[in-house]
Amino acid sequence: MSRLKCLGAGLACAVAFGFAAAPHAEAAHVTLNVWTVDLENQYMFPLAKQFETLHPDITVRVKHVQFQDINNDLARAGITGIVPDVSYIDNPYVDLFRSRGMLLDLAPMIAQSKVIDLAKFYPAPLAAVQYGDKIYGIPRGANTLALYYNADMFKAAGLDPNKPPQTWAEFYADAKRLTDPAKQVYGLAFSAVASEEGTFQFLPWIQMAGGDYNRLDTPDDVKALQFWQRLMDDKLASPDTLVRGQYDSTATFNAGDAAMAISGPWELPRMAKDAKFDVRVALLPTMTAGGPHVSALGEGDNVILAKSAHPKEAFALLEFLNSQMPKVWNKSGFLPVEKVTVDHPNWPTEYALFLQALQTARVRGPSPHWADISQAIQTAIQAALTHQATAAQALATAQQAVDAAASE
Amino acid sequence: MKRWLLLGFGLVITGIYLFPLYWMYVSALKSSEDLFAYPPRFLPHHIVWTVGHVFVQHEMATYLTNSLIIAGGVTLICIVLGTGCARVLARYRNRWVDVALFAILMMQVLPSSLMVTPLFVGFSEAGLLHTPRLAVILAQVAKVMPFYIVLTRANLGQIPVELEQAAMVDGASRIGAFFRIILPLARNGILVTGILVFLQSFGEYVYARSMISEDDLQTATVGLAAFLGPNTSDWNGLMTYSAIYVTPILIVFVLLQRRIVSGLTAGALK
Amino acid sequence: MRRPANRRRAEGPVMGRMMARFRDGGSFEVAMVALALAYLFVFATVPMLYTMLMSVQKIDMFTLGSLARPFVGLRNYAHVLAMPVAWRVATNTAIFVFLSVFFQLVIGLALAIYFRQSFPGAATLRGLFLAGWVMPALVVGAIWRWLLAGDFGVVNYLLNSLGLIKGHIFWISDPHVALYSLVIANVWLGIPFNMLLLSVGLAAIPEDVYEAAALDGAGPIQRFLFVTVPMMRATLGAVLSLSIIFTLQQYDLVAALTQGGPSNASNVAQYWSWQLSFETYDIAGGSVVAVLMILVVILVAILYVGSTRFEQQA
Repeated sequence: MSRLKCLGAGLACAVAFGFAAAPHAEAAHVTLNVWTVDLENQYMFPLAKQFETLHPDITVRVKHVQFQDINNDLARAGITGIVPDVSYIDNPYVDLFRSRGMLLDLAPMIAQSKVIDLAKFYPAPLAAVQYGDKIYGIPRGANTLALYYNADMFKAAGLDPNKPPQTWAEFYADAKRLTDPAKQVYGLAFSAVASEEGTFQFLPWIQMAGGDYNRLDTPDDVKALQFWQRLMDDKLASPDTLVRGQYDSTATFNAGDAAMAISGPWELPRMAKDAKFDVRVALLPTMTAGGPHVSALGEGDNVILAKSAHPKEAFALLEFLNSQMPKVWNKSGFLPVEKVTVDHPNWPTEYALFLQALQTARVRGPSPHWADISQAIQTAIQAALTHQATAAQALATAQQAVDAAASE
Repeated sequence: MKRWLLLGFGLVITGIYLFPLYWMYVSALKSSEDLFAYPPRFLPHHIVWTVGHVFVQHEMATYLTNSLIIAGGVTLICIVLGTGCARVLARYRNRWVDVALFAILMMQVLPSSLMVTPLFVGFSEAGLLHTPRLAVILAQVAKVMPFYIVLTRANLGQIPVELEQAAMVDGASRIGAFFRIILPLARNGILVTGILVFLQSFGEYVYARSMISEDDLQTATVGLAAFLGPNTSDWNGLMTYSAIYVTPILIVFVLLQRRIVSGLTAGALK
Repeated sequence: MRRPANRRRAEGPVMGRMMARFRDGGSFEVAMVALALAYLFVFATVPMLYTMLMSVQKIDMFTLGSLARPFVGLRNYAHVLAMPVAWRVATNTAIFVFLSVFFQLVIGLALAIYFRQSFPGAATLRGLFLAGWVMPALVVGAIWRWLLAGDFGVVNYLLNSLGLIKGHIFWISDPHVALYSLVIANVWLGIPFNMLLLSVGLAAIPEDVYEAAALDGAGPIQRFLFVTVPMMRATLGAVLSLSIIFTLQQYDLVAALTQGGPSNASNVAQYWSWQLSFETYDIAGGSVVAVLMILVVILVAILYVGSTRFEQQA
């Protein structure tokens, strides 16, 4: 045991040294700790390397955190005081950490910045980080939802692959036509899972019906949820839609087990590899012909923690990341969050379509109680789709929960 | 004839029981097309060998080493602290022993998922989170020691008190009797329970997940959980990872199982 | 098993016994117990008491670090118990524990008895069963999620081929089934442990008792009821209480298999408590559920301690 303890203590010292001792050892040299949801080789990892070569006096230590864990990890870091300098936060949760005083207001530094220009940002991504005259993060990229469809299956079912469904009614009819239980093919794959992903997928529908996260119980909102109920009741989508995330759902589309899928641009590389058919993409259908189109804003923001000892260097990193915006589509699969020119985008048709969808995308929230709100929405979806409650009851309950959360 | 029938049926039920393991191995070798085929394919059409890739890409060498260190540390502390306690509780039978047993059992009632919050706060205050693997070991010992004591107690209770008394008549102290008579007799039982504790700790997830923030110090379960995230459900990778993770312990366990069973039963027969 | 020779002395007055212990080195024994208990006190009791404290305070994930937290009495309890899902979770937990423990015990006992018979390879096959024991629950959950997948799961295929069902059962996403999927996976996980401990108990029954019973004309069922069960009371009690506790602690499996869904259909107390604490940061609510679970397990602990009494009579 004593050897083990020594080993543990030795490692601990090494770790502590990495965190605390660097500034003392060499006054000029700074180590930035960065948390991100990216995997190795994605976005932050290569970009941090590039940043290091531009700034030899700064070392960037990037740590991968699971998407579903990052809020928790940040909250815990707030308790221990061992916070990273820079972190990723999913856009609806910026408000939570902001309201707890954990984030640095970047507005003064942005005012001095020659790189970051708020005027260029699209409204939705900016809304996730802007609170009055304060800015609590820099959007690093965006994504949004659209409708993928298997053009080969459209043809086989006698549908025109050049006319994807425009309205919910058409969408339902097409999904029904494409569903073939004998061949184990569902008309549609989407996700109603009880997690942030379910909320993300559902909000556009309720927003197209005129509601929003804080206005869930109007008759039109109920219609949106009833529409989802019909999709499930008529077995146009797999019952597993209730428990599958978006990535798993779309995998069934790629495998030819579903004819349409609602998902985002992050799927494109995998589809190019796995989907052995003519994949096309269209905007989400609207509730009525010519009705408002709404999509959901995905991806997140790079924030600087208020307790960071190196805000200046951290901001330099954020500036560098922002300067890479023209490359995020081709390199990382994110839509740019500001008006930039992307040269030779991969999947140009899809890029144009998703960029179009982004213009009507809305940020979730913002609210410091987003966790409660999101859970209320997930609960409503799941209760209605399993018929434990009617759509109206489920949404009324959710509305109460949202009101209670807001009044806290 | 009857013996062969028994064997045949025994083979069938063992086969049914172990089918999930078979499925894990087959899925680890399937392409994504094979994985999602229905009817399912009991043998892969073409074998996709990703073991090396998964092992390297997911830094399994580091993760498995950390899991070994943690499981080893837990087992060691557990044996050192728990054995004597188990013997004493096995030897006597009175109100205080009842109280002690009750208390010990009470200590393991809460799942790690609930214990982790207060432990995290306490460890944070005590500075233990700077040695996160030690923190996990300390927390996990508290988790498995009641189990160790209960099992070892059953085993040690089989050693007749007369043996100890005889040694003491021969001039040994009670301490000497414990180390020279009881421990050697209980060796097999301790080993067996120790292995069980080791294996349980090798699969520990919640504490490692919550207390270790350094990737280099992280355990194999946490590495596995990375596959279970909403946008990373790569079944082939998940099954490959699982197979790499459990194969060594499965082998060791199958090799040692006779000893494990006889270790527990021998104690019972004394 | 035999009665400790010094049982009479051990039951003497407390003070006298303490003195006697110190004289013959008994303080060593007290120290050994005290050391283990002290360890558990620091790393298990204190956190548990802290959980109780948090259950009557206004506290969330972000105020966890500061010690100035207002007391709110039993308001958290009222809040949690008033949640619509509370009753559902309580029922689910009861079903989950009862079915898991029942089937683990029955199947474990059946297997222990089966493999006790003498046939070639009996010991080896029994050993292979123990493979389930070494599997981390997280891995087991992942594998079962894959086996039980609704559209392309192999379990559905096998049941269809055998003509047992028609069409697909959505094991994970059908709210009427999800809880039982959890039970199935948990039973799979718990069988080896039950079988192992029950094998040990069976082995402790002297063969001549069975022979005597057989001579008296007892059939296999009578021998089981009137020899095996009474002689296994201590083992059964221990196995039962440990199984209940293990099942109540089964968090990893739920996390990997159903995450309590859909619509809380398979949510159980240990997972719900975690959800409250770490998904909506309501540490107080999570602590309330934890405290309620402690109360349940106190009952189980009493059951276990009671069962150890039979050891003396066996």
